[in-house]
Amino acid sequence: MNRRTKRRIAAAFRFGFLGASLFAVGFPIYWMIITSFKPDNEWFTWPPIYWSENWTLDNYRVVWLGIQARITAQEAFTMQKPLQALKHSLALALISTTLSVAFGTLIAYGVSRYRILSDRRMFNLLMLRMIPPIVVAAPLTLYYSALNLLDTLTGLVIVYVITTIPYTVWMTKSFIDEIPHEMEQAAEILGASRWQTIWEVIFPLIRSGVVATFLFILILTWSEYLLALILSKVDVVTLPVQLSKYEGTTEGRVYGYQAALAVGVTLPLIVIGCFIRKHLVRGFTFGMVKR
Amino acid sequence: MANAQTIARKPGRGLLVFKWTLLGPLFGLLLFILPAFLLQLYFSFHSWTIYLGSWWDAEFAGLGVFRDVLTDSRFWWAALRSLIFASLSTLGCFVAGFALAMAMHRPFRGHSLFYAVFILPMLTVPVVIAYTFEMLLFQRGPINGILSTILMTNVNVTWLAQPPIAVFTVIMLEIWNWTPFVFIIMLAGLSSLPPELDEAAQVLGASRWRIFSEVQLPLLRPVIMLALILRFLEAMGEFPKTWALLQGGPGSATETVPVYLFLTTWQYFHISRGAAMSYLVLIFMILIVLLGIRLLRREKQTIDAIHAKPGAGE
Amino acid sequence: MKKAHVSRRKFLKGALATAVAAPALLRAGGAKAGPEEDRIVKASKKYGKASLNGMMWALYWRNYPRLNTEFKGLTGISMDQVNDVPNLLIPQRAMAEAISRSGKFDIFHVESMMIPSLVAAGLVEPLDGYMKEAGFKLEMVGNFASFMKYQDVTYALPTDGNVCPQFIRKDLFENPDEQKNFADKHGKPLKWPETWEDELEIMKFFHRPDKELFGFGGLRDKENSSFWYWMYLYSAGGFPFSDDAEPTLTTPAAEYAADTFLARKQVSHPEAAAWGSPQMIPRIVEGKIFSAQYWDGIIARIEGSPTPTTGKWLYGVPPGSKFSGRLIKRAFSAPVMGLIVNKLSPRKKQAAMWSLYMTTAKNSTEVVAHPTMTFHDPWHPVHMTAPEVEKVYGGKAGMESIRKSLLVTTPPPYVTGYQEFKEAVDKNLSEAYAGRKSGKQAIKDAQEEWGKIVKKIGKARIKKEIPYYKAMMPKMDVPT
Repeated sequence: MNRRTKRRIAAAFRFGFLGASLFAVGFPIYWMIITSFKPDNEWFTWPPIYWSENWTLDNYRVVWLGIQARITAQEAFTMQKPLQALKHSLALALISTTLSVAFGTLIAYGVSRYRILSDRRMFNLLMLRMIPPIVVAAPLTLYYSALNLLDTLTGLVIVYVITTIPYTVWMTKSFIDEIPHEMEQAAEILGASRWQTIWEVIFPLIRSGVVATFLFILILTWSEYLLALILSKVDVVTLPVQLSKYEGTTEGRVYGYQAALAVGVTLPLIVIGCFIRKHLVRGFTFGMVKR
Repeated sequence: MANAQTIARKPGRGLLVFKWTLLGPLFGLLLFILPAFLLQLYFSFHSWTIYLGSWWDAEFAGLGVFRDVLTDSRFWWAALRSLIFASLSTLGCFVAGFALAMAMHRPFRGHSLFYAVFILPMLTVPVVIAYTFEMLLFQRGPINGILSTILMTNVNVTWLAQPPIAVFTVIMLEIWNWTPFVFIIMLAGLSSLPPELDEAAQVLGASRWRIFSEVQLPLLRPVIMLALILRFLEAMGEFPKTWALLQGGPGSATETVPVYLFLTTWQYFHISRGAAMSYLVLIFMILIVLLGIRLLRREKQTIDAIHAKPGAGE
Repeated sequence: MKKAHVSRRKFLKGALATAVAAPALLRAGGAKAGPEEDRIVKASKKYGKASLNGMMWALYWRNYPRLNTEFKGLTGISMDQVNDVPNLLIPQRAMAEAISRSGKFDIFHVESMMIPSLVAAGLVEPLDGYMKEAGFKLEMVGNFASFMKYQDVTYALPTDGNVCPQFIRKDLFENPDEQKNFADKHGKPLKWPETWEDELEIMKFFHRPDKELFGFGGLRDKENSSFWYWMYLYSAGGFPFSDDAEPTLTTPAAEYAADTFLARKQVSHPEAAAWGSPQMIPRIVEGKIFSAQYWDGIIARIEGSPTPTTGKWLYGVPPGSKFSGRLIKRAFSAPVMGLIVNKLSPRKKQAAMWSLYMTTAKNSTEVVAHPTMTFHDPWHPVHMTAPEVEKVYGGKAGMESIRKSLLVTTPPPYVTGYQEFKEAVDKNLSEAYAGRKSGKQAIKDAQEEWGKIVKKIGKARIKKEIPYYKAMMPKMDVPT
């Protein structure tokens, strides 16, 4: 076997593998999307319907606008609140992510330049992330109800910030570490204060990294399920919790509705993901890789 | 770099204030949440079931609750299942993620399309994954349909109804969900390898495999450790997919620690027991984390040391 | 609502549905309020207006808006917020209220088996005072009203009978060829099954997996297994507790029940171990199941709109057992959904009145007879003869099966800590069903776990509850 055939075989192998992976990853997502456009008699059939001939927007109308063919709109509106859930999910994800990234970046700067946390503490910080949320859910309910924080956005924001801060610190630190200290020394000579240095020198340099971190944390908070389920009651409802409500019993599971809601829940993240994919690689090394 | 010179500002009270301002919010939040942990501690030493009285006059049980949990075979089985679930899914994520990163390392036409698709699972909400796969995994569902077509036989696997297969299924879901995480980390690791090494090894006539195993792999060790540890820890806490898909069934085949904890606390309302279990899990996790951290720190010190040498890197 | 989003086709479809449903709605809703309703309205007025907040699954709520608006007009009391929680999650969410004690919810729409635990947690308002005040009398078919009480105090108002009659495929069962083949094979005619053994024999005969037809369609997953188990156990004359609050899950009757439970695996779908209603109902409706004991709401689902099996079912009373020496037939109702008023709510009086108004004979008939939303199933004696209910629930035959099944319906263990007892049985049975242990081992393990639960809750408490639990059992062996 000469080298060219060998190389060809290797290439064929490589692209075969990539193609198979593409299918394995893409097919479930394709299925979710296509189900959301299928009429109800095609959700669940044998043989499966891989490509629908009867596209419909009904599922979206039902879950997002509350319009249902079989009952009046007034009834439907009182029961599901997807738009409210969307509003709450957005507010929750944006506020907690902003706070988490702001606090995290400052700490990361402190660690990188002033070593305000030792290496050991930095690693201990990661531990915060590793406590399964279920572990604290019950006492948190009791504690929050005493403080009137149950069923409020504030309450959830606090928990989300705490559980995501370890990632923000670690991710942004890896960006700050890459900035040569000379930049700050120059700023100092020019008479800038510490805060000015952070804001006017450091921040512009790590902006893309901060954006990547921000969006990654947004993904985490957007999809959080357990705490949102337990710490919310009437006033707050998030999309993942809303999603779990579509377990119709007499009608069988309403796959089409679920899929239509799921596409709405997932789409923002996919759009965001496509924006940050370049930055993700940089942010995800947690300083374990030097460039 | 981390132990390189710090900035030459005059030390003093200003600096101290500045440092604490940076840390302030985090400490504030931690202090704020601390009572919840103290309550948890209180619960774990008192015997409280929600419907059997109020929490403030629950009976003091000393270490009794812990003893109950430790002698509960169901808890140990759940712990064992969690360990199996976490290790196998970590391994699976790693193999798949690393292979993908190797295949994607050098650019080709359509590279960015592949890349965009490969990170999708990580961006999908776990509950959504569970419901989507429920549609796919029926005995008379698309996955068996496709397998039947490919293998030219009638594939009739019941993915969710038989205990060993159901365990396999949830592990596969976790792998599907989180392979992108490993993929991205490994990609970053691969792109940080100096190309000169590769060239030098080739000039010396080393085979591809030897270049990989003796040059690339050792250099990637820190990144590999990072990926494995983070993934393992996150997998230990996995709840939404397992719960939404199987609630721990069939039988108790997929009853992992988070599922059992959820049942104890929110189905049996046995708060004390849940609290004691939480602490045991917490201690166990901390041990794993400490071990992981030791390994990670050693790796980090090594690379810091390499890069601190004049001339190396950068 | 934005009109622009409604296509013309959809609009016509909706208009048609309304036209079809209108006569029924008019008859039930358009008539003037009766004397019972007047009394409730009068009693409510002195408590003043209130905007209520309920924890209820949306699929249940859909039958109430008209009555809700009506009650608001009459008294100023209305349910303005419905916190939509799926059925199976409500016990957990209601109990979480015992931790937070927020009083944010006025009404829990929860299964009545949770009453003992919720009462113990101090969350439930007794309703007898309000009922007396409004001259309201709780009437339910047979012995069923005891499901709403705990130690002789009424704590819930029923909304849903949820009984499971026997379903058998008429087109197959009455097919002359099938009948002849069966008679040839077994040497006796094909008859409606009287015992579990008869049922199994018939299901085996019709079990044809290669043709996508499965003999049995009952549930065998982790959430629902125990419901069927109790039915088998009670029909064999068994009971899960001794009078002294000792679990009795290893008696011969209990073993028989476990065997009956597991024997159905040979005539079930191979995936049944992972299926709940969302997966099973489409199979029943599409004609992949020969027979089952299933919730009566499905009758309305099948007969109410064109499906592949509309008109192709026989409905009747589930089989029984001669294990105890005489033939006993039992059915089960679970979860029996009831309106429970939160004791901690500042609006509990208005909430109680609202619940009463929804449960009167006339109003509940309207709720049950909703032409498309079939989640509330008949329970009131009046429902059994109301033409609008009959129209929805498969005509005379359907109603008769529901009425008779209700006469012998049974509860799961009606004691404090129900969820934990239930889960222990569910888990072990579903493990046995999945082939992980024998039936004997399963009930032995369940017995052991029950012993621990009894110890935790306190034997004295359970012992006091057992006479009431026993009194809920039907008074007759075979319904007439």
